[in-house]
Amino acid sequence: MNSAAQPLAQTHEAAGKAARVPATPRLALLAYWLPVAGWLMLAVLMVVPAIGGSRYLLYLGTLIALQAALATSLNLVMGYAGQFAMSHAAFYGFGAYASALLVGSAGLGFWISIPVTMLLAAVLAACIGYPALRYTGGVHLALITFAFGELARLLAANWHSVTGGPMGMRVLYSPEPLLGFNFANSRGLYWLAAGMLLVSLLVVFLVQRSRFGRALVAVREDEVLAAFLGINVVGHKLAAYVMSSMMAAMIGTAYAPFMSFISPELLNAHETISLIGVLIIGGIGTLSGPIIGTLVFFGIPELLRLAQLYRLVILGAVIIVGVLFMPQGIAGLIRQRLRPWTRVAGAATADAIKR
Amino acid sequence: MWIDVAQTVFDGLMVGGLYATVAVGITLVFGIMGILNFAHGQMVMLGAYIAFFAVTAGFGFWVGLLLAMVAMGLFGLILERLIFRHTLTDHMTGLTVSLGIIMVVENLAAALFTPDHRNFDPPLSGSVQVLGITLSAQRLLVLVLVMSLVGAFYLFLQKTSFGKAIRATGQNRTGAALVGVQITQITALVFVLGSALAGAAGALYGSLFAITPYMASGPLMKGFILTVLGGLGSVPGAVLAGFLLGLAESFGSRYFSAAFNDGYGFILMIITLLFFPTGLFGVRGKARV
Repeated sequence: MNSAAQPLAQTHEAAGKAARVPATPRLALLAYWLPVAGWLMLAVLMVVPAIGGSRYLLYLGTLIALQAALATSLNLVMGYAGQFAMSHAAFYGFGAYASALLVGSAGLGFWISIPVTMLLAAVLAACIGYPALRYTGGVHLALITFAFGELARLLAANWHSVTGGPMGMRVLYSPEPLLGFNFANSRGLYWLAAGMLLVSLLVVFLVQRSRFGRALVAVREDEVLAAFLGINVVGHKLAAYVMSSMMAAMIGTAYAPFMSFISPELLNAHETISLIGVLIIGGIGTLSGPIIGTLVFFGIPELLRLAQLYRLVILGAVIIVGVLFMPQGIAGLIRQRLRPWTRVAGAATADAIKR
Repeated sequence: MWIDVAQTVFDGLMVGGLYATVAVGITLVFGIMGILNFAHGQMVMLGAYIAFFAVTAGFGFWVGLLLAMVAMGLFGLILERLIFRHTLTDHMTGLTVSLGIIMVVENLAAALFTPDHRNFDPPLSGSVQVLGITLSAQRLLVLVLVMSLVGAFYLFLQKTSFGKAIRATGQNRTGAALVGVQITQITALVFVLGSALAGAAGALYGSLFAITPYMASGPLMKGFILTVLGGLGSVPGAVLAGFLLGLAESFGSRYFSAAFNDGYGFILMIITLLFFPTGLFGVRGKARV
């Protein structure tokens, strides 16, 4: 990483000298247009599986959209609030099981089951989160949510009469058409997953720009100082945890009809660890980080045709190396390199507007 | 009636002791190094495999137990020197790194050992009759071993100069360094001890339950519950919580429902946290904001 960073830093300095001269340096332009380019790229990436006819592409796209949405929602509690929630896969699985039971056994409509599931998840998350978050340090939450995740998996595996036990549960329904749009085929399910991703991104985007989001970052950086500023620390941490868990449950409701099969392995702690790895690769606490991380995590092994087992070994090694040497992740690194230029770019555009 | 109760108490103490052996390692490493080692469960798993291979190779259970402890101690030393010493006292980084170690160790173990269930013959078979209660000899042996391991460990912490240095480091790193405690050596020692205890717990687990590459999460979950229940960083708390949890589980599964066995501990923990927010013996590193 160092050898690559050196010349880059030098060009920065060189460009920095040039910046005082009126001409806008290229990096500044890049810094200004990168978010726009990123959103455009995301839009293109999202449309490709839907118009490309291949079933495999559609399947992979749905999987990636679900994972990216999960990583985005986990980012809310881990990246912005700085709290270590190990129960994300458990809530994802909870969403899948709960909606499958609500639709399959209780006979509710699919679209009604989503808010009901989210509400149930919120109550559950609040019950776990409140005792876990009352004190500083964040270690309690990691311990308790891990224990909860395991408990949820064991319950799903042992409660035969409701969940079908370790053999899993078949899901025989598909979402009803909504506003004249058919969600029953694989393309419709892809758009459902992509919609979940967009909703998650929108929530995190709005939170990031809100007073609430800035308070979360304050809590992450220094809980004592945040309390001193009049921020309700426990309330904010709890709200972030509950929101993130609700979003995980919401994404889980899309998983059930997509896979048409749910097994307790969905709730495995490995799933949460993979998500954390994705966040670390991509850049924790950034909007684009979870998406970049998911693309890297899914894209590279898919290209190399690696077995699932070795993919996880490599991911584990990447987590270790990443945390020790590049804790800010890909998006964080880009942001850090471009930060000096965002202000220059802003000033340059302001000039351009004045002219 | 009371025979039934006594049987249940015995089962609870045995299981609780096993959990406590896992939890003592976790809570000690957290108390001294500030690292929540999620890979502790993987060390339990590796310890169980080492004992299994030693027993199937004909060395017997005792050599297997010793080998598991030594090998895991060495593994712990390597991890501490290579990785964890760089993340000291940084809760979140240490925790994340240990998650990475889980992925590497567990999946390599699955590739190497195959996911098949394994068992080895326990050193003692048959059962013992005490006051009309039938006790499985192997379970009795595990209970005795666990008690003596935890007891010896506690005496080591209380009575020896190393133990004193460890406790001093746990109370105040800078203060301990000022009075001449070699902090880097103490952290390495603590990690090695915690890992060796995990190896021992693994060998004992393996003598009672099936061994698979994915067995780690069960002991780890119980260890975490005990760590929270007993108070983060408190060794006596973890032991006491271990026996409490074991009793809760054995009574719960005996008199309510066995299917919900793993849930009792979690409910016990949540209720305890509502009344004792830092756990039963918790004092460390907590401030109310």
